Amino acid sequence: MSGHAHYREAHPLVFVITHYINLICMIMLAFSGFYIHFPFFNGFMGVARGMHFVAMYVIIINLTYRIIAAFFVKTATQLGSREVDTDIKNWLPQEENKHQLFETVKYYLFFRKEGVISAKYGSLQKIAYLATIPLTYLQAYTGFAIYGPTMNMGIFSGGLDMVGGPMNMRIIHYFMMWVFIVFTMIHAYLANIYNLNPSKIIFLWKETDH
Amino acid sequence: MAQEAHGALHDLLEVRGVTRRDFLKYCGSVAAMLGLSETMAPQIAAALEGAQKLLPALWINGGSCTGCTESIAQVDSPDVATIVLDYLSFEYFETIMATAGTQAEHNITKRVEEGGYIVIYEGSVMTGFEGRAQTAGTPDKTGLAILEEVASNALAVIAVGSCAVDGGWVKAHPNPAGATGVAAWLQKQNIKTPVVNLPTCPVNPEWIVAMVVQLLLVADRDVDKFVAATKWVTREYADEVTDASVSLLMPAGIYGQSIHDNCPRRGHFENGEFVDVLGSEQEAMGYCLYKVGCKGPQTFTQCPVTRWNRRVSWCVEAGSPCIGCGGLNWVDNNAPFLMRMSDMQLGGALGNVQPGTVGAVVGGVAAAALVAHGLGMKAAGRVGDGPPMETAKAYDRKRGAKKGGDK
Ligand code: HEM
Ligand code: HEM
Ligand code: HEM
Ligand code: SF4
Ligand code: SF4
Repeated sequence: MSGHAHYREAHPLVFVITHYINLICMIMLAFSGFYIHFPFFNGFMGVARGMHFVAMYVIIINLTYRIIAAFFVKTATQLGSREVDTDIKNWLPQEENKHQLFETVKYYLFFRKEGVISAKYGSLQKIAYLATIPLTYLQAYTGFAIYGPTMNMGIFSGGLDMVGGPMNMRIIHYFMMWVFIVFTMIHAYLANIYNLNPSKIIFLWKETDH
Repeated sequence: MAQEAHGALHDLLEVRGVTRRDFLKYCGSVAAMLGLSETMAPQIAAALEGAQKLLPALWINGGSCTGCTESIAQVDSPDVATIVLDYLSFEYFETIMATAGTQAEHNITKRVEEGGYIVIYEGSVMTGFEGRAQTAGTPDKTGLAILEEVASNALAVIAVGSCAVDGGWVKAHPNPAGATGVAAWLQKQNIKTPVVNLPTCPVNPEWIVAMVVQLLLVADRDVDKFVAATKWVTREYADEVTDASVSLLMPAGIYGQSIHDNCPRRGHFENGEFVDVLGSEQEAMGYCLYKVGCKGPQTFTQCPVTRWNRRVSWCVEAGSPCIGCGGLNWVDNNAPFLMRMSDMQLGGALGNVQPGTVGAVVGGVAAAALVAHGLGMKAAGRVGDGPPMETAKAYDRKRGAKKGGDK
C-alpha cells in the first residue's frame, strides 16, 4: 500500500542492484526472444542469440544470488519503517497477511473501499514475487532444453521426449515469455498505482516520506 | 587400396560405369553416416568387395504411399546405392516383384521358417478397423498379422520412413486409421526383434545402405554385434495408439545432429539475412529460410550432409524450408509448414491457433485489464496517497469481538 514513507531499509542497495539486473536481463531476454521467435528486422540474429545466451546466465546467477542474500541481508520488516530483520522473513507467510488474501482480491476488484493491512509485501505481491522464482528456473530449464550445447544431456533430452520434441519445448518457452511479460506488467502497475515513490526507491534509491 | 580386389562388386561397378573414385567417395559418405571417420572408406570398400553371400530380405508395405519404395528404386542411371542394395536378396517386395498370389505368400512363410533374414518395413502400422485397413484379398490375414509373422523370426526389422517409425503423416490428428509405428506395435505384441528406425518422408536410400553395410559387413550379420557396434540415439515417445512409452533406436551418425547445425544457409541465419518470400532473389542468394517456416533447428537428420536424390541437393538447398519430416509426430509438430511454429490444435470453435496469436491475445487482454483497472482506481479516488486504510483486519472486525482474532 502507499501513503507511507519509503526508506532505503525497504530495499537496500544490493537489492536495488539485483532488481536492475533482473529488469535489464528481462528486457534483453524478451527482446532477443521476440527476435529469435520471429526476426522482425534483418541483420540481428547473431547478436540476438548472443544477447540471449549472456543474459540467461546472468539472470540465473542473479536470481540465485538474490535468494541466498535473503538469508543474510536485513531489510525493513514493515511498510514505512526503518526497523530491519533478515530479508527471508519477508518471503515467508507473515502474521500481518493472515486472512488478508481474499480481502486483498476484494479490494482490487473494488468490492471494498478501505485498503487492507499487510506486511511489507501484501499477500498477492508475495505470491507473485515467490512465483517468479520457480518460473524463472522453469524458463531456464525449457531454454537449456532447446540450447544446442545442453539439449543432449539426459535431464534435458528426457524433458524433450516428454513434451514431444523440441518444437513443443520452444512453444512452452515462448509462452513462458508471455507469462513474464504479463507478470512484469501487473507488477509494475501495482507497485506504482498510488504514486511513483516505490519506483523512486527501487530505481533511484531515493527516499520519500509518504 | 590402389589394387582392385576382383570380386562380384567390382564387376557390378564396372558394368554400371561407376569409377573406383566414385565408389571410394561413396564409402566415405557411408562411413560418415555410421559415425566413423572417413578414413574408414577403404575398409568399407574392402568389406563390400569381399562380401560373398546375399542376405535374404522381406520388404513389407504397411499403410504406406510407396514413396519410400520410389525413393530407393532409382534405377535410371548407375548408382552405388542400388548396387549395394543388390546385396539384399528380396524374396518379397510387393511393388516390384514378379511373383504374385499364393506363390508370393509362400515366399514369406518359407523364409520365416528358415530364418536368417531381415525385414524392411515401409509404411505405418494401421491398427484401426480391427486391422482391416491393411487387408487385401484374404480378409483373415491382416497387415498386422503379416508384420507379426515376419518380425517374430527376423534378425532385425528396419523401419524405413517416418510412417514405419511412429506412424508418420498417417497418424496425424485425428488418426482415424489408428496408425502407429513398427516399434510400438512389436512392443505391444511382445516381439523382441530389434527395430532400427530410419525416419524422414520418404526414407533416404543412402541411410538404408549405411545400415545394410553395417549389418552385413561390419557386424558380419550378427545382430548383437550390429547393435553393439553402431552408435545410437534413443528417442522416447508416448505412443497414443498402444498407450505405451516407446524407445526408438536410431543411428546416431544420421540422427544425432540438427539440420540447422549443418546447414549451408546457416551463415545467413547468424547474419540475420532471411528469405521473406519463396522464389525471391534472397532465396536464390542462399539466405536462411527460418522466417518462411524452416524446421531445421528442431529436426535431427543428416540431410545437409547426405543430401537427396543421389546426393544432388536437398530441401533447404533447393530453396524449400525443411518441413521436419525426420522428426517424431512430424505433421502435427510442424504444420503449418510455412510458419515458424506449429499450430496448437485447440479443437472446437477455436480450431488451430498459432502460439503467437495466443500470446498476443493474453498480453493484450492483460494490458487492457490493467488500463481499465487503473481508471477504476482513479475513479475510486485511490490514486495519490492511496485508499483510507482499515484500522483492523476484516477478519478481526468480524470475529475479534468474540474470539480475539489475529491480534
Ligand atoms: C532463464 C534462462 C533462459 C534460457 C537458458 C534461455 C534459452 C533460450 C534458448 C537456448 C533459446 C533458443 C535460441 C536459438 O535456438 O537460437 C531461447 C529462445 C527464446 N527465449 Fe529464452 N532463455 C531463457 C530465458 C528467457 C526469458 C526470461 C524469456 C522471456 C522473457 C525468453 C524468451 C525466449 C523466446 C521468446 C525465445 C524464442 C523461442 C522461439 O520462438 O523459438 N527466454 N531461449
Ligand atoms: C517495468 C519494469 C519494472 C518496474 C517498474 C518495477 C518496479 C518495482 C518496484 C516499484 C518495486 C518496489 C515494490 C515495493 O516496494 O512495494 C519492485 C520490487 C520488485 N521487483 Fe520490480 N519492477 C520491474 C520489473 C521487474 C522484473 C522484470 C522483475 C523480475 C522478474 C522484478 C522483480 C521484483 C522483485 C522480486 C521485487 C521485490 C524487491 C526485492 O528484490 O527485494 N521487477 N519492482
Ligand atoms: C515489427 C514486427 C513484426 C513484423 C514486421 C512481423 C511480420 C510478420 C509477417 C510478415 C508474418 C507472416 C509470415 C508468414 O506468412 O509466414 C508474421 C507471422 C507471425 N509473426 Fe510476426 N512480425 C513482427 C513481430 C512479431 C512479434 C513480436 C511476434 C510475437 C508475438 C510475432 C509473431 C508472429 C507469429 C506467431 C506469426 C505466425 C502467423 C500467425 O499468427 O498465424 N511477430 N509476422
Ligand atoms: S535454412 Fe533452416 S536449417 Fe538452414 S540455417 Fe536457416 S533455419 Fe537453419
Ligand atoms: S530437410 Fe527436413 S523436410 Fe527435407 S528431407 Fe530432411 S528432414 Fe525432411
